[in-house]
Amino acid sequence: MMKTNINLEEMSQQDAIEYLKESVQPEMGAIPASLLGDPKIYDIEHKKVFLKTWLFIGHESEIPNKNDFITRDLAGYSVIISRGSDGEIRGLYNMCTHRGMKLCRADAGNKSSFTCPYHGFNFKNNGDCIGVPLQKDIYGGDFDKSGLGLHKIRIDSYKGLLFGTWNDQAEPLEDFLGEFKWYLDILAGRAEMEVVGPPQRFVIHSNWKIGADNFVGDSYHTMVTHGSIVKLGMVPSATYSKKGYQIHTTNGHGLNLGTPNPDFAFPEELKEEYKSNLTEEQYDVLCNLKNMIGNIFPNLSFLISHTKVKGQLISNTSVRLWRPISVDKMEVITWLLVEKNASSDWKRRSRESFILTFSPSGIFEQDDTEVFTDITAAASGTMPLVKQLTFNYTMGLHRKPVEDFIGPGVVYDDKFTEANQRNFYRYWLDLMTS
Amino acid sequence: MSLEKMLATYEFEQWLYLEAKLLDDIDFDGWFSLLHPDISYSMPVRVNKEGIERPDYSLDMFAFYDDIELLKIRVDRLKTDYAWAEIPPSRTRRSVNNVRLLEYAPNEKAVVNSYLTIYRSRSTDIHHDLISGERQDEFTFVDGEWKLSKRVFIVDQTTLNTRNLAIFV
Repeated sequence: MMKTNINLEEMSQQDAIEYLKESVQPEMGAIPASLLGDPKIYDIEHKKVFLKTWLFIGHESEIPNKNDFITRDLAGYSVIISRGSDGEIRGLYNMCTHRGMKLCRADAGNKSSFTCPYHGFNFKNNGDCIGVPLQKDIYGGDFDKSGLGLHKIRIDSYKGLLFGTWNDQAEPLEDFLGEFKWYLDILAGRAEMEVVGPPQRFVIHSNWKIGADNFVGDSYHTMVTHGSIVKLGMVPSATYSKKGYQIHTTNGHGLNLGTPNPDFAFPEELKEEYKSNLTEEQYDVLCNLKNMIGNIFPNLSFLISHTKVKGQLISNTSVRLWRPISVDKMEVITWLLVEKNASSDWKRRSRESFILTFSPSGIFEQDDTEVFTDITAAASGTMPLVKQLTFNYTMGLHRKPVEDFIGPGVVYDDKFTEANQRNFYRYWLDLMTS
Repeated sequence: MSLEKMLATYEFEQWLYLEAKLLDDIDFDGWFSLLHPDISYSMPVRVNKEGIERPDYSLDMFAFYDDIELLKIRVDRLKTDYAWAEIPPSRTRRSVNNVRLLEYAPNEKAVVNSYLTIYRSRSTDIHHDLISGERQDEFTFVDGEWKLSKRVFIVDQTTLNTRNLAIFV
């Protein structure tokens, strides 16, 4: 029997995990509201999810030149992602090894070394400690700097998408992404892609999982939440978002593939480049694609959106991180990706459509954030736990996946199902209870 | 300062106060009528740079990068029944100050910089959002009226502390 008088805060971590095992039932379509609002669950999440899995830290095109660097957050810790003078990309903990001061406070730049503002220790952008002020005088002649190098972070990339992890035992990135790579090829590897400008950042009073949940599987909400877009004639109909496929793979990854599309959503002149980077099957998906919305577990969502702006069809490709700040707050960080070899006019129009639809001022974006905020408020505190409020995730439970789709994963032949959310929460639960 | 420039400064202060009032009163049509058909309306992403390197905002990425057609889409959208982000509308209070007339050609063109602070309150939330920054505006004189023909809003935060920009800056 499940306890009725639950207070996770007073429980040990192990008891809280036992409670999750009993109460979170992804396969039954039962997800407690408290997952979005309980501080104890948030703390366990930090340890069991964010310190364990691969997390997105940026795109290789953000540091194209030798000595370029960006600073990013990795599970709450600032890291420097630097391209060394040897061209290699490294991840370094943004902390002076001498006394712990933050080394670099800029978002991005070009530097071959970093000097600590506290005592002036100097570090090369490969992490080596190369300078200690007054070293001989105050540390003596035998002082060994070699043990003072910056802490290195395990990083890896797939099709330009850079990930890092604090977990030295984590499986290789390619294994973690698994079959999902087939779809990421279409998203980020269809052509040489580059990020436009710096990422946009804004804060929402929302639990991070609501964003991931929304992108991994919630095509259903577009009819209502984004009803204004239909009214404006930017997409054809309210049920536009139903047609296509919902697909998930192992490790909680999932996406929604909007098809078919009578129009080619990408620059026509790059068809040869797409063909050379994709398999025939992937290229076929690309040709029929009207949108693609998904989430790489845990918190990197992505989107290809094809809409009509000023009477002309245009697509934009973006990725976004739902970076947790606290149980009820996240920073949303969005990057626009464009084909490097697209015309400047196409790039300009793609950026225009991105800013209009999915930037902080975006007319899709802003209605979502309103929903995320209110859900978080309703799920916060002790009451949802005491009353055991549970969300229904049973949509599509009666349906069988299709067998004849050309891509990998578990595939359903329209997008209005919650199979992907169930898959997301299954992997989340596996990590939380591991 | 010449009397002519004093009067012109006063005129643009009043223009900006009226604009603030129209936006705070959710009179989007009234606001839209203040805009020049060739308007360029942008809000670059602010970034943290090393030292005093400038500009410390992006020339490539923006939170707004609109012309009159896109602004019309936003205004039209806010008038549908589905613009949830502003249903019910935020209560906003725009304070405009430090208004400086940088260039002035009577009955022709003017460049005006000002500071803007937007207080935003939504629903029952006791927490408010503050959005502050500098406006770099250009005005063109058309048919006896000054119309806003260019606005660049340099926001003070690199991470915006507001859930969205469903409001105008």
